Amino acid sequence: MFAITPNTLSTFLNSISKYIVLLMILLLGFSAILIILLENDYYQGVSFKILFIHVPAAWLSLLIFSTMGISSIIGLVFKSPTSFTISRAISPIGLIMSIIVLVTGSIWGNLTWGTYWVWDARLTSMLILSFIYLGHILLLYSFDHFQKADFAASILAIIGLVNLPIVKFSVDWWTTLHQGSTVFRVGGPSITSDYLITLLVSFFALFLLCIYWFSNIFYIIIENRKIERSKLLNQ
Amino acid sequence: MRIIKLNNQIKKRFIFLIIIFVCFSSSIVLISYSLKDQIAYFVSPSELYQMKDLDDRYLRVGGLVKEGSLKFENNIWKFEIIDEENKSIKVEFSKTLPNLVEENKGIIVEGRILKENLFIAEIVLAKHDENYMPQSAIDKMQEDGIWRGN
Repeated sequence: MFAITPNTLSTFLNSISKYIVLLMILLLGFSAILIILLENDYYQGVSFKILFIHVPAAWLSLLIFSTMGISSIIGLVFKSPTSFTISRAISPIGLIMSIIVLVTGSIWGNLTWGTYWVWDARLTSMLILSFIYLGHILLLYSFDHFQKADFAASILAIIGLVNLPIVKFSVDWWTTLHQGSTVFRVGGPSITSDYLITLLVSFFALFLLCIYWFSNIFYIIIENRKIERSKLLNQ
Repeated sequence: MRIIKLNNQIKKRFIFLIIIFVCFSSSIVLISYSLKDQIAYFVSPSELYQMKDLDDRYLRVGGLVKEGSLKFENNIWKFEIIDEENKSIKVEFSKTLPNLVEENKGIIVEGRILKENLFIAEIVLAKHDENYMPQSAIDKMQEDGIWRGN
């Protein structure tokens, strides 16, 4: 990662982006068909199908934060501009994913639990995660020089890594209204295989959407820097 | 010579980050450990009976709705909450129950203890578990004789 400059990564992402879009559209359509065709849950009925948006978005918001934290560590330790740019470009996507989790979760909660929001450990730690994303983005845009902003925001991302195990294991450590983990848990997934396959397909569809989105944001950041640099040179 | 110097700087920055991370994570661990009773969303009936000074304390109790206990009498829902240790508490609730409240399914009630073994709920929430399956899968398991639910 240290040898790759932001420019080469941006060119690489651009060259593969049309294949990503193609695969993404295929998977999105496939997962939509699968979700419609699936049988309802025996207990929750049709409202359980919101799981196929809620859970992939939740996995992605955790995955994106860990990517952000690790690339911040690499950026700070090895002074790598590519890592800083990756975490700068990936942060808004993580914020959107965590907002999707909170919104779909509260709709689902109102249909099943009978309330939009409670202050239990899982819901609160997820809200904190989205606030850390928001703080990260605000820090990135509150400095004159992007190098200073990258430094400050990276420290926040590394501190925020503490929150990830809390989000993941909150349902095991404390009693919560939120149900426990279904897929990544001791004793294997507690979900039938047709549901699990649909869940994985919709996860990869959303994952590719994030990759495509990331490559676009990355490209815009790099091009903006080129424009600013040429302006400075012309003065 | 230059490479060795760079490695030292990298090591220094890495140790600096580890110190930051360890400080913050240990403070979070200490805070959440000392507040673990407050972070817990509900107590089970057996934990409830071990608590002291329950007079007029607003709290949440959770467990399963006991089989055969859910009744609707005089515009009041009456049921019992039972936990894994077979301790149970009677609950009364005068509003509309959430759709998913059923016998042998999870429930959380919020309110006060009126007297010994009677809980007046002001809010009732249905707590579903992490198992999802279609009715056809249950039918198949019942045919095979491996279904252990209700």
